[in-house]
Amino acid sequence: MPPNDELALLRRVAAKDRKAFEALYHLYYRRLFGYLLKLTRRAELVEEVLNDVMLAVWKGAPSFDGRSRPSTWIFGIAYHKALKALARRPEEREEDEGEWPEPVDADEPESLAARRELAGVLGRALGALSAEQRAVVELTYYYGMAYQEIAEIVGCPVNTVKTRMFHARRRLRELLPGLGISSHAG
Amino acid sequence: MMRKLEDQGERIHERICDLLPWYVNGSLAERERERVEAHLAVCARCQEEEGICRRTAEAVKSAGEVAPSPHPVQFQRMLARIEESEREQRARAAWWKRGEPFRSLVEATPAPLRGALVAQAAIVILLIGVLAWRELHVPAAGTPAAPPAVYRTLADPAPAPQPSIGLHLMFAPQTSEREIRALLLGVRGQITAGPSPLGVYTVEIPAGGDPANVVLARLRSESQVTFAEPVAGGEPEKKLDGQ
Repeated sequence: MPPNDELALLRRVAAKDRKAFEALYHLYYRRLFGYLLKLTRRAELVEEVLNDVMLAVWKGAPSFDGRSRPSTWIFGIAYHKALKALARRPEEREEDEGEWPEPVDADEPESLAARRELAGVLGRALGALSAEQRAVVELTYYYGMAYQEIAEIVGCPVNTVKTRMFHARRRLRELLPGLGISSHAG
Repeated sequence: MMRKLEDQGERIHERICDLLPWYVNGSLAERERERVEAHLAVCARCQEEEGICRRTAEAVKSAGEVAPSPHPVQFQRMLARIEESEREQRARAAWWKRGEPFRSLVEATPAPLRGALVAQAAIVILLIGVLAWRELHVPAAGTPAAPPAVYRTLADPAPAPQPSIGLHLMFAPQTSEREIRALLLGVRGQITAGPSPLGVYTVEIPAGGDPANVVLARLRSESQVTFAEPVAGGEPEKKLDGQ
């Protein structure tokens, strides 16, 4: 959906239009679910945090000023809610890398096997990053966002985003020697 | 000079290298993208880094996303949370409204007076705090740390009066009045009654002196005293030897 349509939807949500909220909920559910899972790596937290995010959207929609894209605003809320949830329940270990979810879309058998392996290797490497670094990596590579937009989402200066990416890249290189992922990808 | 140029070149390299992930995802602004491309054409290290970034990006993208579609029940749960949140909000609003008359009164008060009232309230709260602290921290009476009371207010209960010592005394027949007075003076005693037909004097010794048993012992040691006993109710004492 184009950002302008999302903005119109958000305006209706601000006017407490429940139909519009339902549409926005369905529009963002899968995106937020995937994002929160990547960020927290804790499947048991995702549903609860996702509802926290959508409740904040419902309550905060009247104050959304439209200076950023609706998705930037919503992903920003999700980022902060996810970090808060992780801080609230730090004693639980992050999801075991072996259980890191596999891709769900259908594929040819050999390719699927390779991708499962890749998901495992990459999942372990990403799991070794901090949630803040992981967020920058995922927002850049998976969601294709500009560093300025990422800075808005995570609420820090652009240089901090670059620094987090720098450390994440270095760590990934250590964990994936010679970036062995190349044998699976591409 | 060479060193300076090298440092400058390294700084440019680092800046470009930092941008590579966003060059790879295609989100750089045109001007930045051109700068990166110009540097990439001449920097082998950045070319290698760019390759790593591309492979990482491909891996992250192809790792896919586990994202189920929402079940209708989940949206119902979401709506229930909204309802609950709005109920709480209404309750808070009602509570806020109840305080409206007080707030209006505060708002109607001129600012300087409001400041003075706030300061006064702060002092009162502080004093209450100090008193409460004292109440909690002054040890209870009777504990070893309790300091002795040094003054008494009118509101305090009057201390119980120390009882004076009442004695019945008899003297040997030949004892003169002067000797009796001397004996009584020695124990600060005063005749309050007597002598009775049996020759018994009632003597009162004011409190604050020696205890009764000491006074009695002293009197009984005098040869002129033939009988010395506390008045009825007092502690029974042994009679003098030979009595």
